[in-house]
Amino acid sequence: MDFQGIYDHLKAKDTPGLLTADHPRLPDPENKKDKGRFGSPFVEVDPQHICEFMVACRDDDRLGFDLLADLSAADPAEESEEFWVLYQLLSINHRHRLMVKSRISKEGANINTLSGIFRAAQWHERECAEMFGIQFNGHPDPRNMLLPDDWEGYPLRKDYEFPEEYHGISCV
Amino acid sequence: MATNSAASNTFFPEPRILPGGEKEFMMDVATSDLEVSMGPQHPATHGVMKILLRADGEMVTAAQPHLGFLHRCAEKIGENVEWLQYLPYTDRYDYLAAMNNNLGYSMAVEEVLGVEIPKRAQLLRMICVELNRVASHLVAFGTYGLDLGAFTPFLYAFREREWLLMIFEKICGARLTYSYLRIGGVFNDAPPGWLQEVEHFCDVFEEKWKEYYNLLMVNKIFVGRTANVGVITPEQAKDFGLTGPMLRGSGVSFDLRREMPYMLYGQAFEDGAYEVPVGKGEMGQLGDCWDRIYVRVVEMMESIRLVRWCLGSIEEGPVIGDVGKTIKVPPGEAYVAIENPRGELGHYVLSDGGKGSSRCRVRGPSFCNLAILEDIMPGTLLADSVAIIGSTDVVIGETDR
Repeated sequence: MDFQGIYDHLKAKDTPGLLTADHPRLPDPENKKDKGRFGSPFVEVDPQHICEFMVACRDDDRLGFDLLADLSAADPAEESEEFWVLYQLLSINHRHRLMVKSRISKEGANINTLSGIFRAAQWHERECAEMFGIQFNGHPDPRNMLLPDDWEGYPLRKDYEFPEEYHGISCV
Repeated sequence: MATNSAASNTFFPEPRILPGGEKEFMMDVATSDLEVSMGPQHPATHGVMKILLRADGEMVTAAQPHLGFLHRCAEKIGENVEWLQYLPYTDRYDYLAAMNNNLGYSMAVEEVLGVEIPKRAQLLRMICVELNRVASHLVAFGTYGLDLGAFTPFLYAFREREWLLMIFEKICGARLTYSYLRIGGVFNDAPPGWLQEVEHFCDVFEEKWKEYYNLLMVNKIFVGRTANVGVITPEQAKDFGLTGPMLRGSGVSFDLRREMPYMLYGQAFEDGAYEVPVGKGEMGQLGDCWDRIYVRVVEMMESIRLVRWCLGSIEEGPVIGDVGKTIKVPPGEAYVAIENPRGELGHYVLSDGGKGSSRCRVRGPSFCNLAILEDIMPGTLLADSVAIIGSTDVVIGETDR
């Protein structure tokens, strides 16, 4: 199915947590400040219901998203008040993919873990947690993945300040 | 080892008194699991990675990979440099398949840009990417033999790889970190005689390939070390998000080049230019180490066929699309995945209309493929752990980025 087909199917099934679809669009010729949005389409999902949404996507016969290809987050801008958590779903049988975005607040950022639904999520969530400081509720193994255990700060946040030194090693 | 306590009473009813006056209980010794730290400087981990193994005698009871020794902050650098400046950094995550990385990043940026790539550029890209896949699989094949004690295939594989690196050097001047595939096309046209040399390489390689197959893949010792070892079921593979030869080795026929065609792969498949090999459990169980390495070895041949198809349909024309000298990317975001030698290489780029990306996420296939070690290693023999790690064909530059 193409993106529109997937979205219509999700909507017809009344999938929990589904909010909107975001399509790329050209700039509005009347509004000079509007630069449009390019790239690929995605669906937005309520972070409160992310687990139910993923289970519905995985278990539906016509969608059949059996592989979680990627899980990451993005900090769109320093002045923005939200993180985006991004999920890339892939269906082996139906040969389609879907980008899912969940907006969570930066203040006390947390979202439920998917590691009970897709085992692949476990390592991605560990990386995402250490890089953005997002808490994945119910994660079975919340250790750091790539950074040392005593690293301070969350490097991929836009307001991250680079350390001057680490255990006597100069970083500048 | 738990049976010892029962036996101790039979053989040593009384503890022996040592000269110092201490009692020595000979057989009544409880053995605890031994923790072995494999790495970070172990030759079989193919880089700096540590695997904590817990072993009960010769049996592995738990395995835990520890990553991060080669973390170079590629994603953070991506936010701080301009679009084109990031390209050399892509070379450095999967350094055995740098052309593929260039392609993945370029295609993600092109998706947001919406630029059209000329046909000659696409075909040059495909030739380079497929030759790089051969070079990468040659390393996988050679070093895997080396891990298991077969030294000769490694030397042969590196001989052919050396030729490939020279071919790459002729087109872009670099042997390992190419930065040849640019946003919009390729850096320059092929020099005179380059395409003929590629064709000559294909002719020679096809002959050599048969020798390699007979030398290693059907070797009795090699089959004994890899068949029925480290079995991954198709369900497990999907659950862990495995892609590439790891997934196909488990019998799941899924290749992004065929399933979600990009560039001219769809057309090439319709012309019968390549097939997607899958593991069949020929030597043992479906999804064992032998199946995974078999997929890689057969894929080399399919890549050579693809290169021949490209050489047959190449035509004159420009090699880079209309992107301008300073690339201006409009606001937007895209996730684009391509088939790397190790699996799905995904790039998520977010543009806010500025000079560089606002977020540059890299989904490295080695990272996901490695996660399954935690699951398949318990219950295997310690001696097989090297065979299992080697069969994942991990490149540490990519797991750590």
